[in-house]
Amino acid sequence: MQKSSFLSAAIAVFSREARQELRRRTTVASVLFFALAALTLIAFSITTLAIAPADRSRLDSGMLWILLFFSAASGLPRSFVREEETGTALALRKVAAGETVLFGKLLFNYLLFLAICLAAVPALCLLQDWTIQRPAAFALALALAGYGVTMVSTFLSAIVSRAGQKDLLFVLTALPLLMPLLLPAVEATARAAAAAGDLSPYWKVLTAYDGLVTCGAFVLMGFVWEG
Amino acid sequence: MKILKLALGPYMLAVVLAAFFWPKPARGFIGESSRIVFFHVPCAWTATIAFVVAAVASIVHLKRRDDGSDEAAAAAIRQGFLFSVLATVSGSIFAEVMWGSYWNWDPRETSILMLLFLYAAYLFLRGAISDPERRGVFCAVYAIFAAFIMPFLVFVVPRALASLHPQTIINPQGRILMDVPTRSVFFGSLAGFTALFFWLWSLDRRLERMKRRRRALE
Repeated sequence: MQKSSFLSAAIAVFSREARQELRRRTTVASVLFFALAALTLIAFSITTLAIAPADRSRLDSGMLWILLFFSAASGLPRSFVREEETGTALALRKVAAGETVLFGKLLFNYLLFLAICLAAVPALCLLQDWTIQRPAAFALALALAGYGVTMVSTFLSAIVSRAGQKDLLFVLTALPLLMPLLLPAVEATARAAAAAGDLSPYWKVLTAYDGLVTCGAFVLMGFVWEG
Repeated sequence: MKILKLALGPYMLAVVLAAFFWPKPARGFIGESSRIVFFHVPCAWTATIAFVVAAVASIVHLKRRDDGSDEAAAAAIRQGFLFSVLATVSGSIFAEVMWGSYWNWDPRETSILMLLFLYAAYLFLRGAISDPERRGVFCAVYAIFAAFIMPFLVFVVPRALASLHPQTIINPQGRILMDVPTRSVFFGSLAGFTALFFWLWSLDRRLERMKRRRRALE
């Protein structure tokens, strides 16, 4: 891979990531398995509870985001950690700038996150008998918050891949960075599902967060990559 | 710093006395609870200043890669964390008096809690990387990245979402809604707390420098 334009280099990183995943299928399979197994456990444990219909959407939305965060945490950090473990990070550093690698891996991880959503949301609706009243708004909330989750996870993955106690450190650092996103995301998806209340402040908050973390990650990636 | 240390004691004493005896309690608040503004807001302000100082020190560290700037960033975050805890606790006491519960999940309450978690994670990250050079770079990157999120928590979330929190300083009118005595004591307290932070920060940095020198001698 030569140092060509930003986009073509990023797409090359994305293709490489996708090829590796298609060959092994470990990350996608394990993340989806984790999501569905956790979902089954949660749904089973609360199935006998008498929950008021008004609280139902909030509860399901909270469960969905807990599930999405931990499913993402079980797979997304692998993107940079695997490069360090297999010794390919050094070669990648020689041929590609940090920002292009970040963008390529971000693309792959975002698709992976959307795949988790595609599996988890219908399963949750089915198991919990959850009806989403405004599917377009619900999907937009998932897409916006999902982007933030993926961006932060991919960037943090680059940092923790070169530290000790990687998995623990990833969760410890990702959760505080993502909480400002996850709390409005829970509220936005709950409101979209119940078709209750104004969603416009949540679009502003989610977009502002996504913008800030994108700027931060791309400005700082060079230091992480060379550091 | 010695002058700062000598001046801070009597100055902060004057601020505390003025806070309790000069301005009248504000209307619309239960009893004397409005006086918390002289301590709670400066704590939150000082925490914000500390995190900005940490981000600046981190930028300097990424440029120079020296121990001093890394220690300065870490010391600022430790002090910022301390002031965030004080802001959270004092805010929680106010919430109990005004709204009948120590915790209401108000956007500002939630924001300061998020801020605490955000910088607690920095301290975890610092402890998890043993190589000092790599620790300096990665912690600097994290501190700057956290500084991108910090304004979101301090300014965006409380404005974008409905809040119970009084809006005497940050409000849609863009005006400080205080009378002259309250405003005087409030800004006096802000200045005092800011100076207190810089003094504590210098002490913390000196302590870290001494520890580093002792390690080098061992």
